[in-house]
Amino acid sequence: MSLYLITVLTNVCLFSFIALSAYLILIVGEVSFGQQAFFGVGAYSLAIFYVYFDFSVVFSILFGMTICFFLALLLSLITIKLSGLYFAMATLAFAEIFRLSMNLIRFPIEKEDRATGLNGPEGFENIRWIFENNIDPLGFFYITLIILSILVIFLFVLERSFVMKNARIVGKDLILAQSLGISPRPYRVFFIGAAGAISGLGGGLFALANTYIEPAMFGMMLGVHSLAYTIIGGLGLPIGPLLGVLIDIGILESIRFLSEYRMIIFGGLVAIILIFYPEGIISPRIASRLKRLFFKKGL
Amino acid sequence: MEFLQTCIDGLLFGSAYSLLALSFSLLFGVMKRINLAFGSTLLLSAVFSLWIDSVFSIGIFGIFLVMLGSSALINIYVEKLCFFPHRGNYGATVSMIASFAIWMQLDELSSFLLPERTASFPSFLPDSLFLIDIFIRIDQLFLFFIAIFMTCIFFYVLYKTNYGLLLRGVSFDRELAKKIGVNSNKITSFAFAFSGIFGAIAAFLILSTESQVTPFFGFWCTLKGLVAMMLGGIGSLPGAIIGGLVLGLIESNVINYLGAEYRDICTYLILLFILVVKPGGLMGSAILRDERAASERI
Repeated sequence: MSLYLITVLTNVCLFSFIALSAYLILIVGEVSFGQQAFFGVGAYSLAIFYVYFDFSVVFSILFGMTICFFLALLLSLITIKLSGLYFAMATLAFAEIFRLSMNLIRFPIEKEDRATGLNGPEGFENIRWIFENNIDPLGFFYITLIILSILVIFLFVLERSFVMKNARIVGKDLILAQSLGISPRPYRVFFIGAAGAISGLGGGLFALANTYIEPAMFGMMLGVHSLAYTIIGGLGLPIGPLLGVLIDIGILESIRFLSEYRMIIFGGLVAIILIFYPEGIISPRIASRLKRLFFKKGL
Repeated sequence: MEFLQTCIDGLLFGSAYSLLALSFSLLFGVMKRINLAFGSTLLLSAVFSLWIDSVFSIGIFGIFLVMLGSSALINIYVEKLCFFPHRGNYGATVSMIASFAIWMQLDELSSFLLPERTASFPSFLPDSLFLIDIFIRIDQLFLFFIAIFMTCIFFYVLYKTNYGLLLRGVSFDRELAKKIGVNSNKITSFAFAFSGIFGAIAAFLILSTESQVTPFFGFWCTLKGLVAMMLGGIGSLPGAIIGGLVLGLIESNVINYLGAEYRDICTYLILLFILVVKPGGLMGSAILRDERAASERI
């Protein structure tokens, strides 16, 4: 594989994490504009634990995920009364508060004669894990691919359990869920928390892959993109968001020769895809048809 | 006196936010949908009219008219591509994402028409300051009064004309309006065109006080309009006006007392606080968790 292709595929894997986190929130029927914040919290906490405290990389990622989980839990608890646009705006406000405060915090240090550390809008430089351990781009791609596959397999297993089925009912129709005896709030809170943790995991890997992070990377565009991936891919199966990321980055890269008109074509194309597949390409209907094909007993 | 000066500055600038929030509120009231492409519609119409001006030199009044027309047309294009196909009950998120895709498209188009990234926008009033114990910029004062005038027209159209009545009917209950023979698709297109024209006037005023167009104008409009609308309360038109003014007041006071880099942080903190404590916004009705909230999912 050429280096270019490896880089593109690594990016597909990394953005799949944030797309999966948007997917989990959409399943419980909410729309979040703020997943980029957890991506950013994951990236920054990895960088802080790894650079300032010399933790091992695995622990840094795990700590980052835990922080993201509890932050998301906190956010979902304070916004428990909100839904729809109100919830979306609350998450957006949260994400922007995170991003803007990262612009203000400066605490630069020098490590092995290299400037690093939190440095406001100039970002956090020199997270040198992949250089210190001599991991080439292909190796890093395999690492992210393996972690992503484990996550997707876990979500597939979860799909067969009652947790996911109940969550889907909560997302589809709140009143139906309540009349079936499903209490919506625990599902909502837990799924938002889990989405935060997944996003944080992706953010940690992103920081490792980039070796440099800055607050501007975690703007609103990233969050809305993650929503778009999920909506294009469909809410039927956990591979839907991955397909969305592939389509998005794939189309964008393949029409690179049209560079000037790229976004003009792409924007129109996405809108037209959504007209024909309003529930995404792997919609719940297609997903249940696929399930019947593979598991003869069906649901 | 310093406080008074800051508040006056805030109110004058907040009136521009109010206009943006009103156009957003109109669309949200009628469609129960968010049009993320709204800001870039305004940007594209401004850039397009500047481009026409550079070719045919139509003058400032011509720019104004071209802006109104192109903004209405682009808004109808957005409606046909993003909102018309998804007008069913569950199309809310999808139409939002579609409008996001169109946002990218329109932004790219405007950077195509504006290769040098920044262009000067003609301003039609002298940029002088005058003194009645406190400084007030004439063009901002003018913007303020135009905003009040525009709001009056807005309310006149909504509450006194036939179209306004139909529009409010569709907004109140789409199904019921259909059953009594209202052509809701046509009314929706009308609402989009109307909010496009209204937004274009707001954008024209803002741009001529700033006297330049940058590619960030579209994103800025979308964000400020949304935040002002949420502060005031969704679906309440007086709320949108008050939300815009409050946003202006907050920003100018924070800039004065804390510094410019804290401006957006404080705005979002206050927004989050209001959403948590009084979810309906300052003027909006308290949201009913179950039925209304379910139908008002974006």
